[in-house]
Amino acid sequence: MSYASIVVPAFNAAATLPETLRSLSAQSFGDFEIIVVDDGSTDATAAIAEAHAKTDRRVRLVRQHNRGLAGARNTGIAHARGALIGFCDSDDRWMPDKLDAHVLHLATAPHVGLSYAGSAFIDETGRRTGHAMRPRLSHVGTAHVFKRNPVGNGSVPVFRREALEAISWRPASETKRDWVFDETFRQSEDIECWLRFALTTDWSMEGVPGLLTEYRINSGGLSARTDAQLAAWERMVTKLRPTDPAFFARHESAARAYQLRYLARRAVSSGDGETACALVSRAFAESRAPLREEPMRSLTTIAAARLCARYGDAPMRFARNVLSAVRS
Amino acid sequence: MSKLPHIVHLVDDTTPGGVMRVLDHIYGSPLMAQAAHHEIRAVPRNKGIASVQADMIVSHLSVSWRRLPALVSLRARHAHLPMVHVEHSYTEAFTALNVPSKLRFFTLLRNAYALFDTVVAVSHAQGDWLTARRLAQPQALRVIPSAVDLRSFRALPAPRPGGRTIGAIGRLDRQKGFDVLVRAVTEIRDAALRLEIFGTGPEEETLRALAKGDDRITFHGHAMSPEEAMRAVDLVAMPSRWEAYGLVALEARAAGRRLVVADVDGLRDSAGPEARFVRGHGIASWSNALTLALRSGAEGGDAARATGAATEFAAAWNNLIAERLGPSAPGLRAAG
Repeated sequence: MSYASIVVPAFNAAATLPETLRSLSAQSFGDFEIIVVDDGSTDATAAIAEAHAKTDRRVRLVRQHNRGLAGARNTGIAHARGALIGFCDSDDRWMPDKLDAHVLHLATAPHVGLSYAGSAFIDETGRRTGHAMRPRLSHVGTAHVFKRNPVGNGSVPVFRREALEAISWRPASETKRDWVFDETFRQSEDIECWLRFALTTDWSMEGVPGLLTEYRINSGGLSARTDAQLAAWERMVTKLRPTDPAFFARHESAARAYQLRYLARRAVSSGDGETACALVSRAFAESRAPLREEPMRSLTTIAAARLCARYGDAPMRFARNVLSAVRS
Repeated sequence: MSKLPHIVHLVDDTTPGGVMRVLDHIYGSPLMAQAAHHEIRAVPRNKGIASVQADMIVSHLSVSWRRLPALVSLRARHAHLPMVHVEHSYTEAFTALNVPSKLRFFTLLRNAYALFDTVVAVSHAQGDWLTARRLAQPQALRVIPSAVDLRSFRALPAPRPGGRTIGAIGRLDRQKGFDVLVRAVTEIRDAALRLEIFGTGPEEETLRALAKGDDRITFHGHAMSPEEAMRAVDLVAMPSRWEAYGLVALEARAAGRRLVVADVDGLRDSAGPEARFVRGHGIASWSNALTLALRSGAEGGDAARATGAATEFAAAWNNLIAERLGPSAPGLRAAG
């Protein structure tokens, strides 16, 4: 039996799945299985997974009718046999030493149930954009998870099996298997899971150094989704608030401000200055905590939003070019 | 009589509540009096602990970093005496919701528990947690589910057939989760439904504000006795956020009342196999669970009425005492 399982939820991912699977097969820690969950794709996703399984016996394909990202991950978890369970979405990549780093971390820190690391962002063509997420790695309490989401995205965490079991449940409507991710969410299903994990289990979350995930950012059409994203985030808050109303009373405004600031930054990235400005004002009207706790980042968000509204995406292009020139 | 070993129970939380009720039971139980002479001694919260003349010390103290030096000193001054700690407070769900640095907290518990010959968990769920987190050595761990004298609860009249009165019994504290219950009840459209809340505490105002405008919900303050509160209700709801054991659930079973409880910690023991368990504290899940429980009629209570709880409790303690002091214990009194 494999020591680790990597769950790859895949829906119409023919374009990107091959590189995802190549990055997983190339892990330096080799004792793992890959479970590709084809979530009702209508393209060649399943055929690609099957072809890859011929070259790497550690790959297994599970197919189901479309249940969404959370539903695909839950199915993957149900099929996973490893002592550790990690996730990599079918448009992202793992760096070769990622699994090794988490295996070592979880073996040496028995109180940690979820191990994470930073992410480098890549664009549609798979090139690094120069942006990255470098989260705080230790002293991560529930409030920090709520406000700053140090796990970041769904291609980052590696869980201990017992830790996943601690947050799994069987809804009355479900007949086949347990849920770990809440399948009623189509967005914010990641942060809902991490926050529920922090609120309801006694497992710690810790990170390991490095940018070990390459996370793909799709630019187009963010503005239309901003409202839906916010609505999903608010639904998460409404769902989890009864778990500990005192905690939410203390941190909810600050967390909402951080969420609005995050969406403002996304809007800047996609060149939508007006939306960015509106989100920035809402953020700091909600709470000044981000200004106090992360003044530099908050001020650059304000400046970027204003510049973007005034000059379009030229300043961002310029900044990106400067950044990539400096780094190369 | 003087041949019986003398056991001193130390307690620092003497407010009325679960810990004191269990201690009163230990003090008053004829079965336990057969094996030992039990003495309850209150000690100040954040000061040293005076030396004890006894054959065995049982700590019901709350463990904290501030308390740790006093525990170390107590151990040092009674090096040859068996010392037992009963963990009445800490659980998995407690840790999740209240502990900012879990690693530091586990270090505290490991150090504190290592001072004792035996650590007693008050529920199997809590014992499993202490084992899984390696907080207590397996050979030093015993599970003795809490108990009180349940005869007066068994003597209560059975719940009325078709009765629709839900009881919330306990301290009005964040821990008990009655805010979830009040919200869930206001969501249920049923004019005949009642929610009777017995207890006082820091959350009272918040709860009254939540219940405002719903005249099916009544606040009674402190009940004359736990039995009187139980008599008034058909079903007991316990949406606790954490619970080392949960005596009210045991009492509800003894009284033949149905139970709807949170699926956390010691409630998995105390509420028994017939209870309806609710995962999480979502308002909709609680409304649904309560509706279904009320619909199920007067059946669904514990038919066995939690028989044997007090006897098993006494037997387990008497065993532990015999094990620690040996059969020749009486008279072997070590100097304090």
